[in-house]
Amino acid sequence: MPHVISRMPRMAQDGCPSGLPANKNISSSVTRVIVKTAGKQEDFMIADDTLVRQFKEKLSTHFKCQMDQLVLVFMGRLLKDHDTLSQRGILDGHTIHLVIKSKCSSRSLAHSSRNLLTKEPCHRDRNTEGNSNGVYQPAGVSHTPVESALLVEPDAPKMHTQDLEVDSPEYTAQILQNPSIQQLLSNTDLMRQFISEHPDMQQLMQQSPEVSHILDNSEILWQTLELARNLAMIQEIMQIEQPEQNLEHPLAHTGLETMPGGDNALGQSYVDCNDQMLNSSQDPFGGNPFTALLEGQVLEQVQSSPPSPTPPQERRDRLPQLPTTRVIYTSSRGLSSITSANVTPNRVTHTPSAYATAIPAKCRSHTCPIQQPAGVPALPSIELTQQPQAEDKDGTISLDSSDQKLEDDLQASDEQSSSQITGNMMQLLLSNPYLAAQVMFLSMSQLSEECRQQLPPFLQQTQLPDVLIALASPKASRAILQIEQGLQLLATEAPVVLPWVAPYLWGLGWLPAPSCSHPDTCPGPGMCQILLNPKIPNAATSLEPSCRRYSP
Amino acid sequence: MEPPNLYPVKLYVYDLSKGLARRLSPIMLGKQLEGIWHTSIVVHKDEFYFGSSGISSCPPGGTLLGPPDSVVDVGSTEVTEELFQEYLSSLGESLFRREAYDVFENNCNTFTNEVAQFLTGRKIPSYITDLPSEILSTPFGQALRPFLVSVQIQPPGGSPVGRPNGQS
Repeated sequence: MPHVISRMPRMAQDGCPSGLPANKNISSSVTRVIVKTAGKQEDFMIADDTLVRQFKEKLSTHFKCQMDQLVLVFMGRLLKDHDTLSQRGILDGHTIHLVIKSKCSSRSLAHSSRNLLTKEPCHRDRNTEGNSNGVYQPAGVSHTPVESALLVEPDAPKMHTQDLEVDSPEYTAQILQNPSIQQLLSNTDLMRQFISEHPDMQQLMQQSPEVSHILDNSEILWQTLELARNLAMIQEIMQIEQPEQNLEHPLAHTGLETMPGGDNALGQSYVDCNDQMLNSSQDPFGGNPFTALLEGQVLEQVQSSPPSPTPPQERRDRLPQLPTTRVIYTSSRGLSSITSANVTPNRVTHTPSAYATAIPAKCRSHTCPIQQPAGVPALPSIELTQQPQAEDKDGTISLDSSDQKLEDDLQASDEQSSSQITGNMMQLLLSNPYLAAQVMFLSMSQLSEECRQQLPPFLQQTQLPDVLIALASPKASRAILQIEQGLQLLATEAPVVLPWVAPYLWGLGWLPAPSCSHPDTCPGPGMCQILLNPKIPNAATSLEPSCRRYSP
Repeated sequence: MEPPNLYPVKLYVYDLSKGLARRLSPIMLGKQLEGIWHTSIVVHKDEFYFGSSGISSCPPGGTLLGPPDSVVDVGSTEVTEELFQEYLSSLGESLFRREAYDVFENNCNTFTNEVAQFLTGRKIPSYITDLPSEILSTPFGQALRPFLVSVQIQPPGGSPVGRPNGQS
């Protein structure tokens, strides 16, 4: 800020007109004097050597007042009657200030007395007086606005430093909280005009048309800003850019130079992948855990188009882990043991790879719904979630019509994947008999003894490939599910009827299935034995809670 | 005859933007402004200024702006306090009525300029009086003009001066 005191000598000359020196030597010349009073000014032509008194007489007639009411001030000096104008240095074009005192001098006294009265208390508590003037103070505003300075209310301690430098970001944040500033900023047209018409901004836009593209499209602008806000994303981008730039620019910050363009491209691809993912699957992470797998499928298709987008890649890498976590979750619910949960991840993590590679369905599909009530109650949950989907496949109530075909494909591979996963689960249990025993022990303690007796034949039976193939078909598993549900219903409605059902099941069990080449190894009676064993009256009812727990 | 008393006249200069104008003006306006200046005249141990509620007075540095950012020595005057009050009241009824406040054309600095010339014959520094034209010469200022027209600057902490019946 230019220091003003040094300009003072020059200030004295500011009031002087340019034509001074010429008139200086001429005495008794008529000079034009400007008389300013009460907001108006008039010119008067008078002689240089006019006495002030004479001038006052002239003025009094002009302004229609008495002479003693007039006070002439020139350059801060009161003009005495006996002076001449030239004596006081009044020259052509100078301004003389005139104050017309009111006739009632008591009024002026009242002013001064009021002033005196207010002075003392003012000096003592001037801050509080200022603060008590609450009419003018907006609540909670403690900073100065730039444009609309409605009221100014700085902090008193702050002001003592007389610090003009405002470097702290907190202060800027405070400024932004001012409602008038917010109002100004929320005026989008104004802000857009302001940004786009700034010369530096125009230069930037000429250099990189992407910037103008960002600014024009409000969606892209918003997404870019969202992206920029995500610190992790920024770090990611920087890490991406940096290795690429390392060869050319060893300095780290130069990687940022590519950010404006790359940022937009990355953000765009990120957004695109986001949209595609959202479009392709209804509920990626809730509900059906296996759609997450299928998302990975969809993403793989998408990957070919966008140019090296790291975020989708990361998502893809992350996604196959999700079904495993889900499976772990459901299995841990069923197993309800921590040790088993610890064991399962090691095994189950193989499932994505198992899924990714082509697995002959014959050997590896291990869905054994019959085992479910006896063995792992967790499996029904997986199966049950799959069945309703198979049911709804044709209905597609909640799916968009445009995505229906995609969903159908997803369903088919859904069941395949689910069966593979359950198969792997069974594989796990079979290979670890202790674990399997523990599983069943915990889930159905009442049936432990009998289950243990029945287990070995079951396990043998499940390893038969034909049986497994038969069970893997969706219709078979659907049928088994219906049987299970029927039994469940019976157990709730009429438990006493259950023993009477046994002969039917028994008979059904021994009927040779069309595709089954070993009728004597049909596992039907095994289940019935367990369910309807009179020694275990509560077999069916005990199954209910576990079934209910995992029913969808 | 004793020499008349000379009373010092000071100009208190406040930056309403508290340094923000200095930092943001190159970006926003395209030219460097050192501040948004609000000024007042201090004479007879009183501070006088003009705001949207008319001419006000307070003890020096007594508004909520606090102490001034800079003080300019305007000179000295023989004008007595009484006379000055008369003068102010006449101004308050004419040029510097409360409703005559205009943030660009007739603002606090206009008033200060008038008073300074009355008291000492000198004007206030031109960087203060040139501020409105500086702002209005930028496209941003022109764009903001309709918005700024409604701006009322009235530093709290003063009492009205020169108004009959003391109305504010």
